[in-house]
Amino acid sequence: MNDFIILRDLTKIYRMGEEKILALNNINLTIAKGKFLCLLGTSGSGKSTLLNLMAGLEKPTKGEIIIGKHHIDKMNEREVTKFRQLNVGFIFQSYNLIPTLTAMENVSLGLTFKGIPRAKRNKMAKKMLENVGLGHRLHHKPSELSGGQQQRVSIARAFVGNPKIIFADEPTGNLDTRTTYEVMDLMTGMAKEFKQTLIIVTHDMELTQYVDRIVHLRDGKIERIEENLMKGEHMQA
Amino acid sequence: MSKLDLILMGIKNLWRRKLRTSLTILGVVIGTSAIIVMLSLGFGLTYFMEDQISQWGSLTTINVYKKWVDPTLGEKEVKLDDKAVEALRKLPNVQAISPVLETFGTVINGRYIAQVPIKGIIPETMEDFGFEVEEGRLLTDRDEFAVVFGKNTHFWDPKARVYREPKINLMKDRMRITLDPNYGYDMPGQNRVNYKEYKIKTAGVLVDENMDLSYGIYMPIKDVQLMIRDKEKAEGQKTQGRSELEYSKIDVKVADVKQVADLQDTIREMGFEAYSLSDALDFIKEQAAIIQAVLGGIGAISLLVAAIGITNTMIMSIYERTREIGVMKVIGASLKDIRDLFLFESALIGLLGGSLGIAFSYLLSFLLNKFGAQAFGEALGMYGATKISVIPFWLVLAAMAFSALIGVLSGYFPARRAMNLSALEAIRME
Repeated sequence: MNDFIILRDLTKIYRMGEEKILALNNINLTIAKGKFLCLLGTSGSGKSTLLNLMAGLEKPTKGEIIIGKHHIDKMNEREVTKFRQLNVGFIFQSYNLIPTLTAMENVSLGLTFKGIPRAKRNKMAKKMLENVGLGHRLHHKPSELSGGQQQRVSIARAFVGNPKIIFADEPTGNLDTRTTYEVMDLMTGMAKEFKQTLIIVTHDMELTQYVDRIVHLRDGKIERIEENLMKGEHMQA
Repeated sequence: MSKLDLILMGIKNLWRRKLRTSLTILGVVIGTSAIIVMLSLGFGLTYFMEDQISQWGSLTTINVYKKWVDPTLGEKEVKLDDKAVEALRKLPNVQAISPVLETFGTVINGRYIAQVPIKGIIPETMEDFGFEVEEGRLLTDRDEFAVVFGKNTHFWDPKARVYREPKINLMKDRMRITLDPNYGYDMPGQNRVNYKEYKIKTAGVLVDENMDLSYGIYMPIKDVQLMIRDKEKAEGQKTQGRSELEYSKIDVKVADVKQVADLQDTIREMGFEAYSLSDALDFIKEQAAIIQAVLGGIGAISLLVAAIGITNTMIMSIYERTREIGVMKVIGASLKDIRDLFLFESALIGLLGGSLGIAFSYLLSFLLNKFGAQAFGEALGMYGATKISVIPFWLVLAAMAFSALIGVLSGYFPARRAMNLSALEAIRME
């Protein structure tokens, strides 16, 4: 029973005016703790929707989402917020840093909402930025950083609260190949170190080499699930 | 999220849109100062009126007169005699009471004369009725034919062809008094009545306080009674007996202005006529309230416009920060945090605008009083006013609280909107 994340009969239907769009159709999936998972699919396959449901950002039309022992689908807004604060870190394709805040302020913003006092959260943010190799860029604004550096800040932001799960939505979509490897190495390295569950949403086959399992999605259904036995092979390269 | 973090973040957010924030604040400044200055004109008007009225006499004095009655209707006349004085004295809230016997006479000082109303009063009540001397002292119960002069006693020489400022020292000169109505005007061929003249000594001269007190001379009532009896005897009239003696009026001093109206009603029920300056004051206050409502209404419109300005600014700010709000939600901001942040920002705009508005109002009020008192004062019917704009302290506090409230109210709708924004749509928005 080491199934950390359990998705049961998960269905999501969007209404667009008259039309109903079946974004997710009866998804059943379990993810073990500390495993890395990749949701692979073209755009419109429902992979982002699945991520949003797991993060409690949207409610499913039908079905259950159980993370740890928490029923995410049954929580109210306040409980979901609390849950997210404690358990979830996010990494986005377009970084989504707040442009007016420095790297350190961006990283410590989530800690602010948790109510952690200023001195402590600055210390945590600084340490985390040093971990991602940006110890010399603490007081730079996002506009003064390269794409790779911005994504590192966003990784630092996701990891700083030591969440149990990291969600990454197309984390390398805006990066070149070399930076992609750097960022992925960093991300998976840290997740491994802190024994976190990592769920990556992408359409980029390159990233699949970093994960334990690959879930292929098509038209809101799981097409097939691959176990990646070659995980980590690239690292020698 | 701690309160301190919320406040710091809110200030930072406002600061990064300096121009828009300051323009919005400017709107509130104009709104607040419009309402304050308009209301201050109303207060200025009220104070001016109150001041004017208190120059006519004391606001806490009720003048009791005999009521005119129609005997054919079976109404009974109530006399203003000692019985009336005793009855009035027993009423609640009466601080002091003095019957007044008023007549007209002439003060003779060498070749100068002054024709004055002579008011006989109970000497020891003078202090209670607010008499104050500039020179000398008030009357005491041991005084006989002692006089306290009102400030505006004018002496002149009836035989002189041109008016010259008389050289008079009220305190030191020897003076006489007579009730001869024609003293100084010798009318040949008329039956001369031999009016008595009485030596008087000056006790004091009153300060120039109000029109009621500074006109005429004051003497102990028993001396005036004596002079009137002598006069009637000289003119061959039947004298009033002591018991039948009636007073011109009875002055009643009330402890507090608020009790004047009630006491006045009670006195009227007893069958007297009762007047006080409070009657006029009530009417004027009503008038001022109407003017103030109109002025305040004009000010309120500008504050309303400012409130809409705050709402507009906050909505704009949500559009700009949609993505940011989404990110904050995803990384753990609660709905309450988001709402509070927006409410705080708009409340701060309101409060800052309000505070600056108050400062600006004080400046405007100062300038109005200094340079515009005459022009604006006359427009409002305040002739000769020196202060047309008065800002009471409670208005400052009220304006401060009100502008913050306006800020919160106008930020409420935008804040709800920010709160209900879907995090995902916000983040996807490019």
